[in-house]
Amino acid sequence: MSLVTSLPTNQAIPRTNGDRVAVFKSAEKRSDQWSQLLISVGENRDRQAFAQLFRHFGPLLKGFAHASRNEGWFPGLGDDLVQEVMIKVWNKAAGYNAEKASATTWIYTVARNCRIDMLRRKSNTQHLPLENEDFWHEPDEETPISLLQQKRSEDKVQSSLAQLPKEQDEILRKVYLEGKSHAEASAELGLPLGTVKSRVRLALQKMQVIVSTESQE
Amino acid sequence: MNNTSQFHPDETMLLEFSAGTLATAPSICVSAHLHFCSKCRNQLLRLDQVGAQLMSEAKPLELEDDAFDAVMANLDNPEQAPAKSDVKVSRFPFSVDKLMKNNLVSQTWKRLSGSVDVARFETGQDEFEVALHKICAGGKTPKHDHQGLEYTVVLKGSFSDENAVYREGDFLIREPGDVHQPMGAQNGECICLSALSAPIKLTNPLGFLMKPWLRINPM
Repeated sequence: MSLVTSLPTNQAIPRTNGDRVAVFKSAEKRSDQWSQLLISVGENRDRQAFAQLFRHFGPLLKGFAHASRNEGWFPGLGDDLVQEVMIKVWNKAAGYNAEKASATTWIYTVARNCRIDMLRRKSNTQHLPLENEDFWHEPDEETPISLLQQKRSEDKVQSSLAQLPKEQDEILRKVYLEGKSHAEASAELGLPLGTVKSRVRLALQKMQVIVSTESQE
Repeated sequence: MNNTSQFHPDETMLLEFSAGTLATAPSICVSAHLHFCSKCRNQLLRLDQVGAQLMSEAKPLELEDDAFDAVMANLDNPEQAPAKSDVKVSRFPFSVDKLMKNNLVSQTWKRLSGSVDVARFETGQDEFEVALHKICAGGKTPKHDHQGLEYTVVLKGSFSDENAVYREGDFLIREPGDVHQPMGAQNGECICLSALSAPIKLTNPLGFLMKPWLRINPM
């Protein structure tokens, strides 16, 4: 089904709008600006839409690359990452499923995988039979969680991230942006590993990312 | 696939997976679990939203003048969206499938004991030995304890130990010092993926016979 034809074009709204739930009238549609542009790239090979995505995400991707503190980091990583990710965005846009993730989340996953693979290729002399992307072939499924639930959780993440205590925020940034493991974060911050993990859990609870406590080892 | 896994990676491990900071061997095991567990896939989607939000708050950096033109010049031959019917549903997780093809697993099964076969994977890292273990129906494995960490994911069938029965998709962590004696289910063979960080030490009287085959042997 073509999603783009069912979307009213005058409803493109920037993702910086703090209160998007009200504008989001139907659980069937994803109406944020970037997701609409990405759908249009996928369905219509829309170069104009792609250019808009490039202008928004390009500088963020470069910032994301420069935030990395990983082994293998090199000065040209930022520009290389922008190139590689944006070309992948163009090539893979037809497979983008707006019911599963927003464009920002989808592009994040592409960027994360690219960044890891580029760094690994630089720092590793062994033959690597798997690329990071290979870990992310999830079985296609009927709406994993409803779009409305997803929107709620995105909004919750967005609003509560800004309100996390500094000590929790610091660790999340170390892990997601600098690319550190919990063990590396614990060594750098001079904190026991257990403290790092409990701060991570507290942050995830506040953002309601953890919905149940059933997980076991 | 199904949603019946009882044993899952904990949320901090999923977060490291989402951030891409989890080492290769445990990542293979987590990706194998995700193939079976929709609950963890949903959890992961929310963790990816955290990463996406943090990325979108990264300090934007100005691009090279020719960055856009360079990308536009390369916009050719986009992939077509795969037709749903074309997507081959594999019984095994994608990463495991790829490793099996890479390592010609069908030709590398080795007898480990009377009831256990092993096929080791080359994964480009040497912190962990990554392997498939096949336990025949009702097969008993030697009682052993762990000097290192072991991750196990059940890919097919089920096995049990003193504590529980583990079924397809179940994700287990054995800490150093844990002693156990897994036993294959009576109704069919069991295949598990495992990542082992150090040699396991056998504790039964025949242990010394087994040890050479169980030693860690990253290729």
